[in-house]
Amino acid sequence: MATVNSKRMDKKTWPKSNADVCIRCATCMAVCPVSRVTPLFPGPKQAGPGAERFRKSGDSSVDEWIDLCIGCHLCDMACSSGVNISELNLMAKAKYLDEKGRPLRDWFLTHSFLFAGLASFFSAITNFLLKNQAVKWIADSLLRIERRRELPAYQSPTFRQWFRKRPSSPPFEKGGDACLPLGGQGFEPYSKDRKKVAYFYGCYTNTNEVDVGKATVQVLEANGLEVILPPQECCGLPMLGNGNFKGARKMGLKNVPSLLKAVRSGLDILFSSTSCGHMIRHDYSHLLAIPGTEEVAHHLFDLFEFLRNLRERGNLNIHFKELPLKIAYFPPCHLRSLGIGLPALEILRLIPGLEIENIEADCCGMGGTFGFKKEKYEISQEIGKDLKEAIDRLNPEIVLTDCEGCRMQIRHLTGLKVLHPIQILRDALSDTK
Amino acid sequence: MHYDLIVMGMGLSGLMAARTAAEAGKKVLIIGKGMGCLTLFSNTIDVLGKIPEEARLKDGLSQWIQDHPDHPYSKVGLIGIDESLSSFTSLFQSPYSFQTIGDRNSFIPTGAGIMRPTYLIPDTMVAGVSGNKKALIVGFKGFRDFYAGYVANPLKWRGVTLSIPDVPNQEISATALSRWIEKRSFRERIGEEVKKRLNGETSVGFPALLGVNDPMGVKMDLEEKIGVEVFEIPTLPPSIPGMRIFNRFKEWLIRRGVNILSGYSISKVSLKGRRCEGIHVHHPPVSTLYSADHFILATGRFMGGGLKADRRRIFEPVFNLPVSQPGSQEKWFEKSFFDEHPVHRVGILTDSSLRPIGEAGKVIFENVRAAGTILAGHYCLDEKSREGIEIATGYWAAKNTFQI
Amino acid sequence: MKGSMRLQTEVLIIGGGATGVGIARDLSLRGIPSLLIEREDFLSGASGRNHGLFHSGGRYVVSDPEAARECIAENRILRKIVPHCIEETDGLFVSLPEDSLDFRDRFIQACEEADIPAYLLSRDHVLSLEPELNPDLLSAVNVPDGAIDPFELVLANAKDAENRGAKFLLHSEVTSILVEGDRVKNILAKNTLHGEEYLIEASYLINAAGAWADRLLKLAGLRMAMALSKGSMLITNQRLANRVINRCRPPSDGDIIVPNHTVSILGTTSVRLEDLEHFEVTPQEVSLLIEETSKMLPAIEETRLIRAYAGIRPLFQSEGKGDDRAISRGFVLIDHEKRDGIRNLITITGGKLVTYRLMAEKTSDLLCRKMGTDLPCSTHLKPIPAMDAPSNLKDRLKASGEAEILCDCELVRTDEVEKILKEGGVKDLQDILHRTRLAKGTCQGGFCIYRLLGILNEMGLAEGDSNKILRGFLEERWKGIRPVLWGSSIKEEELIESIYKGIFNL
Repeated sequence: MATVNSKRMDKKTWPKSNADVCIRCATCMAVCPVSRVTPLFPGPKQAGPGAERFRKSGDSSVDEWIDLCIGCHLCDMACSSGVNISELNLMAKAKYLDEKGRPLRDWFLTHSFLFAGLASFFSAITNFLLKNQAVKWIADSLLRIERRRELPAYQSPTFRQWFRKRPSSPPFEKGGDACLPLGGQGFEPYSKDRKKVAYFYGCYTNTNEVDVGKATVQVLEANGLEVILPPQECCGLPMLGNGNFKGARKMGLKNVPSLLKAVRSGLDILFSSTSCGHMIRHDYSHLLAIPGTEEVAHHLFDLFEFLRNLRERGNLNIHFKELPLKIAYFPPCHLRSLGIGLPALEILRLIPGLEIENIEADCCGMGGTFGFKKEKYEISQEIGKDLKEAIDRLNPEIVLTDCEGCRMQIRHLTGLKVLHPIQILRDALSDTK
Repeated sequence: MHYDLIVMGMGLSGLMAARTAAEAGKKVLIIGKGMGCLTLFSNTIDVLGKIPEEARLKDGLSQWIQDHPDHPYSKVGLIGIDESLSSFTSLFQSPYSFQTIGDRNSFIPTGAGIMRPTYLIPDTMVAGVSGNKKALIVGFKGFRDFYAGYVANPLKWRGVTLSIPDVPNQEISATALSRWIEKRSFRERIGEEVKKRLNGETSVGFPALLGVNDPMGVKMDLEEKIGVEVFEIPTLPPSIPGMRIFNRFKEWLIRRGVNILSGYSISKVSLKGRRCEGIHVHHPPVSTLYSADHFILATGRFMGGGLKADRRRIFEPVFNLPVSQPGSQEKWFEKSFFDEHPVHRVGILTDSSLRPIGEAGKVIFENVRAAGTILAGHYCLDEKSREGIEIATGYWAAKNTFQI
Repeated sequence: MKGSMRLQTEVLIIGGGATGVGIARDLSLRGIPSLLIEREDFLSGASGRNHGLFHSGGRYVVSDPEAARECIAENRILRKIVPHCIEETDGLFVSLPEDSLDFRDRFIQACEEADIPAYLLSRDHVLSLEPELNPDLLSAVNVPDGAIDPFELVLANAKDAENRGAKFLLHSEVTSILVEGDRVKNILAKNTLHGEEYLIEASYLINAAGAWADRLLKLAGLRMAMALSKGSMLITNQRLANRVINRCRPPSDGDIIVPNHTVSILGTTSVRLEDLEHFEVTPQEVSLLIEETSKMLPAIEETRLIRAYAGIRPLFQSEGKGDDRAISRGFVLIDHEKRDGIRNLITITGGKLVTYRLMAEKTSDLLCRKMGTDLPCSTHLKPIPAMDAPSNLKDRLKASGEAEILCDCELVRTDEVEKILKEGGVKDLQDILHRTRLAKGTCQGGFCIYRLLGILNEMGLAEGDSNKILRGFLEERWKGIRPVLWGSSIKEEELIESIYKGIFNL
């Protein structure tokens, strides 16, 4: 079959193409956010299974447009034949970029975790520079990072620093990361009355949106749970999204042993970023073949999925105060691709006074690092316009969404206050805590 | 997670089943391997095109039920069909609503310039009904799923093809074009252009992509600019009118707290005696069990994955329900493409409340029902009854499940 | 005859397959004027219905070394003169555990004797080259097989011949051949599309009608003993291997898999046939082909088939005296002067696609002898210019980003089709399909035929009722796909039926 091969990637780790089952029906063409706004991208039917029939092993890549796939997975979810379209695109993209070479810009965009610590420490200087027009001009013209895009500001202290220093922090955590108890090797079924949970907060929460992490910890503690932070690195999704399988795999190989350790000590792991969560739960095993992921994945939960499970068993703290707010909720693509429904919407609907509507739009257009790229900025904005119009129709005070990329984009598009749903849930609990 | 009802399949029958149950306050999960076939074909709502042209639908249906005791319509009955269609139309309030003209089938033009009978039509297609009026058909260069000349020539109308200024030499997709048309500035340009080309025509037909979100707004604005009535004509898939139906259902279901999972297939089912207890959904590497009191199987025919065929047999992959076999593979299809192929009549046999039955009419599972085109005993393509069967049986399955 | 158009030519060639067109080009290079008449379009017979194997000769090397030698010689020539029609993939002769290694050794020996470069590959090496091959295979022999595009080959030949003065009369059927004394005097023909009649006067007549050769001779009151053999093939949706895969055993049913652009072709069967016009692929043949070829490539058992088709090979029964011009078992050249006393009639038939040029050369040589000239053949020296559209997969994929695509499955560009339409000469839908890869992919024209008819309507070229043409196409298409409808193909079929019977109410 026309399986893709990449010199830099062990071939065994590529999933097998199932393009053969595509019936050319065009359902995916109805949902693709990119082909809806630009003729430069031929759409999932052509770029994925269509082009696959023309990719011969040994031939060099010619399908430049493959780089325009935003990686939203909406096509995968629409396809009733089960074609893994976005995976086909990602593999083709990786091959294309492996051959053509990656711009330095992509390195910066996908390795921000390397300098995030420093950037946070010197946040005042960093943020000044990030907002400085001259710096943005340089980034734009030299690195082709779009200057109209606000670069995310860094916060100090980081979430991790805050977590360690806060007075309520349990004593055993103070010593650092190494003191996690080594648990048994057994596969634990879903934890019923577990008192502790581990939290995968992700880079962005750590250095750029510390309050999301704080809110997560506060809500979990308000539910009688003790939060533990296993050692963790960037999940690697920015690299994977840019077709760098090797780099992404490296990050996964660092994260999985640490998460596995937490799981084997009997902990469930929660994530508040649906992108990080999707990466660890599905891409680590399926696309990157990282050993041990399967066991981790069985104990890895979206934060609201976990809260919904608590509610199912009657264990969720629902002593909410009234929040008379008009809120619009946007389910990120990666959340939809997790296949858990819309748990945040379910939980937030329990808050009295809260008027919450789901935003009927497909994709925000940010696509992780996609929207930062100069050559893709216009496409990103055009996709975003449809979301903006959907938000305008609802006229909310606050917009909520679980993904940091979507939050950035919606702020950029609407100027509205955009939060993670956990922040509103924390506010609803704040009196009872 | 435990639900009152799990609906498998996200086509029109599944969506109707979910709607009917949610309206009765039930906790519902709807899960689909994909988005179903709404976005491919369902531009209008066919109920029964194969009745005499002048017949009222009610009379046609009533005769049909008499003549076809095994047809899905015969299980639902006239009243049930009527209720289900009312439930469907009540979901689509003005400005984008569905209507029928004098309880009869209406004839609308198709992309091949043939008139086609259908029952409920969206307001955007009304002006094209019957085709007695002289119409100008408008196509767009670069849009490959609709050709003005092809529509116009057989109907002895005129067709014009407009260029889209900003898309030179490139193809444009249905969704992109419908997004363009949603822009006022674009409409201004094409409105002016079309007006110039009018030559005594009293209406203008566009491919059915006058916007996804506000098609009536687009239509009325174009009418104002052109000065005559405007209507939509269905195109090759994907179907923008089908997307509107899907989106409206989705919006309503989410608001009602229905959990929607799209993109996942059922890896196995948990059975206990003559009951189904839950379904396992596999999303590598995680498998999740969803349990429910009731289940509705609305997974469609071959295209939707509700029925599968290998070289030897036809089968139903979720519950392995019995499927009558039309003989060996060479007997599945007749020698002419336009013949009625035996394979189209196979499907799931049920009792009158749509519970699948096995040999000797015995109900297989007490709490599982089947709905939509997966049911046996119809040839919806020829009958022009696809959406009607989906709406009626989706509704009927949910109604019987909860004795609503 | 009154009312019929009179045409005159030095040589009339009957049959627009590779042989006929090859002769037209050969004669045009020698400066001999010719007219070729064809009942349908170019390639409507066996030339357009084969597996597109670019023979190295390996397939016959043990049973018929002479034919094999012809093949490898032509193989070398065609690589030079029509490189654009050939994909130099190489071919593997795979030995499975149940195959005799004695045969393999004889095969290698015979290749050496026939000057076919062949070398033995180890199991591991073969599997690294073609990972989908049966891992239980013992070894494989590599030979210079390849894939040839018969459509491009014949059309490029025709175009070059036309540029050099050859004339073509397509969609015209010979209705009678008038023999006077020892000569064919003239020929009557009728256009099959609009009924116009032609009276053709030719000094020489060449019968290159392939499987129809006997039927044609009957018009002249002659006969030749011919048997017809149907060979069926299946097309997969994707290209399963990059090389030609043969079974290393004496030629038999289901022993070859040929890559062809985006697809693979599984072949073949051999069934005696009586009726030349009505034949189909039987369910037994489909099963046999799947079972046999999947022994070499196990993925075939699960893979999606998009079409089944059959071609007819004319077989010759020995006639004893008179039939002495058989140059080899591969093809038959009959000088009817010697055989039947008709001085200006030649029949050429049989052979293989890869030897079409040689057959044309030998026929033209015979003709020259009859004409009393010794103009030499130069087809082995003069390359044939390529057609315009890019043919390899990579270039087609690249080009698809730059223009509107009419056929999504095969990436046929709208401007490619428009150019063919503007050039004129195409008379019906099949003509367009022969000149592009439209409708040769996954959906077998499900989407693009509507689009093609749409464009014809837009360009004002639609003659007659488009929907009648559409119905005709769907029936033709049906013949090819009906035998392979299960799995994904049955889903595809429901989609296409829903479009035409549903949305369009055809």
